[in-house]
Amino acid sequence: MPERSLLERLIARPELGPLVLLILEIGVFWAINPDFLSPQNIANTLAFTVELGLIALSMTLLMTSGEFDLSVGSLFGFAPVLMWTLFNAGATSLEIAFVIAVVVAALIGLVNGLFVTRLKIPSFLVTLGMLLVVRGTALFITDGFPQRTWSAEGQWLAETLVGDFQLGPFRLYMSLFWFAAAALILGYILTQTRAGNWIQASGGNPAAALARGVNVTGTKIRLFMLSATMAAFAGIISSIRTSAANPNSGTGYELEVIAMVVIGGTALSGGRGTIIGTVLGVFILRVMRNGIVLIGVPGLAYNIFIGVIILGMMALHSWLERRHHAGT
Amino acid sequence: MQAPEAMAEPLIRMAQISKSYGNVQALQDVDFEVREREIVGLLGDNGAGKSTLIKVLSGAVRATSGKIYIRGQQVEIRNTTDAIAHGIETIYQDSALVTQLSIARNLFLGREPIMAPGFLNRMDQAAMATVARDLLRQVGIEKNIPPDTPISALSGGERQAVAIARAMHFDSDLIILDEPTNNLGVAETQGVLRFVRSARDSGHSCIFIAHNIHHVFQVVDRIVVMRRGRVVADAIDPRQTSVEAVEQVITGMAHAPASAPARPG
Repeated sequence: MPERSLLERLIARPELGPLVLLILEIGVFWAINPDFLSPQNIANTLAFTVELGLIALSMTLLMTSGEFDLSVGSLFGFAPVLMWTLFNAGATSLEIAFVIAVVVAALIGLVNGLFVTRLKIPSFLVTLGMLLVVRGTALFITDGFPQRTWSAEGQWLAETLVGDFQLGPFRLYMSLFWFAAAALILGYILTQTRAGNWIQASGGNPAAALARGVNVTGTKIRLFMLSATMAAFAGIISSIRTSAANPNSGTGYELEVIAMVVIGGTALSGGRGTIIGTVLGVFILRVMRNGIVLIGVPGLAYNIFIGVIILGMMALHSWLERRHHAGT
Repeated sequence: MQAPEAMAEPLIRMAQISKSYGNVQALQDVDFEVREREIVGLLGDNGAGKSTLIKVLSGAVRATSGKIYIRGQQVEIRNTTDAIAHGIETIYQDSALVTQLSIARNLFLGREPIMAPGFLNRMDQAAMATVARDLLRQVGIEKNIPPDTPISALSGGERQAVAIARAMHFDSDLIILDEPTNNLGVAETQGVLRFVRSARDSGHSCIFIAHNIHHVFQVVDRIVVMRRGRVVADAIDPRQTSVEAVEQVITGMAHAPASAPARPG
């Protein structure tokens, strides 16, 4: 097997499909409505994008290790509700409330991880149960009403998380930098570090990984905790940006996040994952949501497009996979 | 048991190993040893108990009774991690590799070299690639396979070679090869046999299990034959015995050659 040329290497990369799709998508929307690439629309799209994107990044690592987490959407709603309830009741300062909400989320992730690894229950069932517990708790402690968040104005924590600023013609939120930082760090962990090797091995062939002394259980538990923490963090960012902590927010996000991850080229069955692909997947779905409204397609038709994209990308990935193995 | 023996302690000594699954007696009072720098061929028909014996030694199965000594020290082997920690490496068909990962990443899985001033345990991928290239040449893969090739793109023999290269690099004292030449082409088989010889030269011991007696005869120092959960011959010298005679011992048509005492030493 000789060294492959640059072009062949590029084609063999799983991220190529999503990249082409994203460029096509942007091109089509821009051709139909030039406003699509206006600074204001770009800034708007970015603000929405990063909140789901944060969850998708940690979900990528979790899915590479062979598990997934359906409770992220409910944590996205629950964590801000907990934080603002504590703060509004005057129980704690905003900083302490933030720390408590994130720690509680991490503990929920720990419980998910323990159920999956110690009791050997599939993550689908464990996190489905946790989804209901967490969502139910959020509804119960708020009686179903949103929590006030406008007192966040001027708090340094709120500014650090979602403060906005003007960069040329773009009005950007701080959360964009959190997303970029998370993508860089998690991408680095997955591809460059020992932990990344263990994550891929745990998803690819857990028995072989275990036999080599890889701590499969610990790896998965940490990723469940990361996933829950990121979901809480994203939820808190969203609550400050939209000035509302609604116990129902985040409903259905778990499936949209998983869709973003698999469109990007991460295998649902584990062993193979790509952060670059996930970033592309996040943008593909978010640009689609924004674009079809802008070109005048009724927003209710959104799910049709998402479904078609998922089916199309899965077909492409499986075709590439088979073609890749045909020669060996 | 600790009485001094005339000869040096063997590398591995399994004493009175028995294993039963319910009413089925898979192993019955088996004594088995491997000396330093020795290649032992383990032969026997299907169901003779050789893979159960190997599984006990590699930690995949726990014996019902019996003791295992390594260089005279009694050890507990409860799982595969214990066995690896004691320097016992088992190579099965290809179950020991993660097919999605590259050759280099598989070689170093669980023992990745870390860059000294690194961030979050960064792996030294350049070093991994260099060692991997070197090892692949040593185990006889002449084709120039880049170390970042995923295992899923390799043939059966190449996968076997990667697993062997791993055992070799991490200085296992004992390498157990379970049917290493199954499904391999002629050139690949020769590569595996050449490796087994070079492993002995570099100080490793091997247990070699194969259905093909001719392959066994080409490399081993001593042949042990099992039948119905017992060792029926444990000192057959392949240089002084014919393949036919060994076949008769395996099938139970003849007793062990006269040269075989129950236990040497």
